[in-house]
Amino acid sequence: MALSKEIYRELEDIVGEEFICSDPAIMPSYHGSDLGAVVLPENTVQVQAIVKTCNRYKLQFSAVATGWTGSFKKDIVYIDMRRMNRIIEINEKNMYAVIEPYVITAELQAECFKKGLHFNVKGAGSNCSAMLRGHGHLDQSTSGDDRNHLAIEWVTPEGEIVRSGALGSTDEWFCGDGPGPSIRAILTSAVPPGVTPGVFTKAAIKLYHWAGPPKYDIQGLSPKYTLPEVPKNMMARYYSFPSVEKMWQAEIRLGENEICMELMGFNVSMVAANIATCNEDDERIFKRLNKEKKGPGFFVIIAGNSDNDFAFKKKALEQIVREAEGESMKSLEDPETEGILIAQCTRVTASIRETFRAGGAFSSIPIMSQRDLTIKWAIGAGEAKLPLIKAGHIVDDGGAFFGWGVEQGHVGKTEIFCKFDPANEKAKAAVEKWSKEQGRRAFDESYFALMMGEVSDDIKANMCHYDKWWIALTRAFDPNDVAPQGGPLV
Amino acid sequence: MIDKQKLVKIVGTGMVSDREEDLEKYSSDISFVNRVRPAYVVKPGTAGEVQKLIDLANATKTPLVPVSSGAPHFKGDTVPGNGGSIIVDLSGMKKVEFVDRARRVAMVEPGVTFEELIPLCTKEGLRLNMPLLPRKSKSVTGSILEREPVLMPGYQWDMSDPLACAGLYFGNGEEFRTGQAAGPGTLKDQWKVGAVQKAPYGPGTASLHRLIQGAQGTMGIVTWMSIRCEVLPKMQEPFFSASHDLDQLLDLMSWLIRLRMVTECFILNNTNLAAIFATDMEDYQRIKETLPPYILFYNIAGYDYFPEDRIAAYIKDIAVMNQRIGLDTGKSAGLISADGLLKKIQKPCDEPYWKLCLKGASQDIFFLTIYDHMERQIAAMKEMSEEIGYSPTDLGLYIQPIVQGTGYHCEFNLFYDPYSYTESDRVKDLSNMATKSLMNMGAFFSRPYGDEANWIFNRDAATTDALRRIKKIFDPNHVMNPGKVCF
Repeated sequence: MALSKEIYRELEDIVGEEFICSDPAIMPSYHGSDLGAVVLPENTVQVQAIVKTCNRYKLQFSAVATGWTGSFKKDIVYIDMRRMNRIIEINEKNMYAVIEPYVITAELQAECFKKGLHFNVKGAGSNCSAMLRGHGHLDQSTSGDDRNHLAIEWVTPEGEIVRSGALGSTDEWFCGDGPGPSIRAILTSAVPPGVTPGVFTKAAIKLYHWAGPPKYDIQGLSPKYTLPEVPKNMMARYYSFPSVEKMWQAEIRLGENEICMELMGFNVSMVAANIATCNEDDERIFKRLNKEKKGPGFFVIIAGNSDNDFAFKKKALEQIVREAEGESMKSLEDPETEGILIAQCTRVTASIRETFRAGGAFSSIPIMSQRDLTIKWAIGAGEAKLPLIKAGHIVDDGGAFFGWGVEQGHVGKTEIFCKFDPANEKAKAAVEKWSKEQGRRAFDESYFALMMGEVSDDIKANMCHYDKWWIALTRAFDPNDVAPQGGPLV
Repeated sequence: MIDKQKLVKIVGTGMVSDREEDLEKYSSDISFVNRVRPAYVVKPGTAGEVQKLIDLANATKTPLVPVSSGAPHFKGDTVPGNGGSIIVDLSGMKKVEFVDRARRVAMVEPGVTFEELIPLCTKEGLRLNMPLLPRKSKSVTGSILEREPVLMPGYQWDMSDPLACAGLYFGNGEEFRTGQAAGPGTLKDQWKVGAVQKAPYGPGTASLHRLIQGAQGTMGIVTWMSIRCEVLPKMQEPFFSASHDLDQLLDLMSWLIRLRMVTECFILNNTNLAAIFATDMEDYQRIKETLPPYILFYNIAGYDYFPEDRIAAYIKDIAVMNQRIGLDTGKSAGLISADGLLKKIQKPCDEPYWKLCLKGASQDIFFLTIYDHMERQIAAMKEMSEEIGYSPTDLGLYIQPIVQGTGYHCEFNLFYDPYSYTESDRVKDLSNMATKSLMNMGAFFSRPYGDEANWIFNRDAATTDALRRIKKIFDPNHVMNPGKVCF
């Protein structure tokens, strides 16, 4: 059902006739949904006006930036944020950037590199919104989850503008906490369900020092790019170890000694996907690397701020790896491979290769928590993948999982996924079963609880009834129930 | 008023007091907040007792004021806002559940002080990211809940650090555990598989630990906290850079943090550095005369692998930076050695507490700011001091980078004689005037205490409204420390 003429006109008055649509032929192109209308606001004032209109008519809305997945209720107003794509500020002295929701990582990173800065790039890749909460390849030195946000401008579900922290009091973006208790507690752009209702219209994110070049001199054509020279004072290596325990020990020591800019616990399947330019190549490289590896491993990039710094980090890295009986994979030391891995893994441009290319779809269990604990669980989850590989349901990755330390190993991220053909119903069913069983095992054995998608009542009860508080909070800010759960905010 | 026997039934005989001298201790503090006497002081020993106290408070609509540190108190947050309040003194809850070297985390009850926890961490090869010279009676949990600035900004990834997880009872009496600690199962269930309550986010989307920090006990009562710890260095080399030009020091400091070369790193003026080391007024004058106006302190640490190489590399790199900025680095400033300061700041303050040593009291004005505004704000503070008759040279100054250099905690310490009405009034007036003026110059008072809190919240009606909606959920009967923050 399209919107009434009256409501349509009101929304049109806000954004202009070019930036609203309710054409039934166009609506399904947005997530295959039957939407009431799509509106494309240009700024916060327009977002606020749209939200207030929705409240007046008790119309539900959902705002989306670059999007990933999402399910949307019928007839909702879909706020497409693509016009809000400005980098407002890159503050070098205070190391933060202020961005709108549709600024993608690739754009912001390119601008930051020029100023010797960078930021946490989420694993979703360089085409996703830079504002997103999440984890990625650079977590070791750039943190992750909700810990990179500073002040946030938030249009509440009722259409009020809340500007968190210093922004509300002083118009400055450097701090999102206070005065008093921090409303960052509820301002989050996590994966749905569970996103903060309302719309984030601007956010400040932390920046970090970038010791690499202001621009990569990438050569070649898609899909075969190369970086002719490894940047000065940078080095990339893949180390494999005789056991998970040894790998973990090396990971912890590297964190405690603050050696790595990136410590990405790729399994060799993901390394192969990164290097390969097609599936045939991928399989061939995977088999070769599988023979070459000692056991589980990780990929590292070190970056020196000076020759002295680089020399120290390289020396410590090699000693730590040696003590843990790790070995560098020689074939990956080839400068051409090393160079492109540095570029791809700092700009995070190979996510699609790692996830979608081989099978067309993937199903993932990501856990942000205590690294050693989640590794313990992931070993079992990896073993449980083997029958699926044997049956040909999923792409052969050796039953691997992956992950990395966050904040120099203080916490961590572990993830495991199955790559499969979404058109293959048997494969899809097998992956769903695996995912459900492994999620349940994590909960039953007290490792962690998965809280994405449908969560059972016993899990909620065993997790301090977190859902009850979240529902109370969302109701407090959305009395007209116009901002339903389920759509991705960013 | 609540029946004393009901309290005794919960915490036991001897743990409830309505004696004049006990109530008097909690009626006021060193701040200028109004004196209000509580009805009782109760000292729970367990989390279960805390929950029962909150239930009783809800049933009888009695205000509770949680206190975890011992005296002296400075900010007025532990002085009741309402008559008839019950002080919930948690200082007796002193269990250290664990200090875990491998996962760099410790878990403590709210009564554990820095003095008690530091030796246990040291024994395991760990250290705490501490505030500057906390008093001996300062609770570690209390400090973290207050979001006090920490000395090692490079290890403060988020404003909430070093808080890992917390166990608490909200104002409505319901139990909650933040972050990884939420579950599955009980803490004991989690320990069995090796979980140590380290990850702060969640459960689910919300990060409710952020709500209990900066809340001054208005959201609930924390009964344990796990704390992120850092590795104890194998070697350390502390240095001073001193200058008349604050901008030079800020420039160097911002690069030291940005390039992650240093651990402890902050600026003091000569008043504060002398006050920290002085034993009396005469000693203070003697030390201060030898000091330049502003002193940047930084420490380079080397860890388990090639500590000498790391330190040597950074000393060389910093020398290049100093040359560019036009600064000198040394091991001493006047009569004070960098080694001496490092030793001092890695533990709580010796008695008497440094802020009280000079004149008996100190009013602290502190806010968050950015590099661009700081010099102007400091100059304005000096002008206001002059105007009100408080000598600008007596102003203490402490600048602490926060959250990996994204901002700065700027603190003025106004030392005064609390028995002199003239001095007290002057400092009170200066404090009021400065808070209002500095707010207009971009100072962000993220931790508002006392009367100033009203002015600060008035600047941001939208956030204040949001906080009040949230408060209603967690403390519907308004029993938790009413009259504080914006509640």
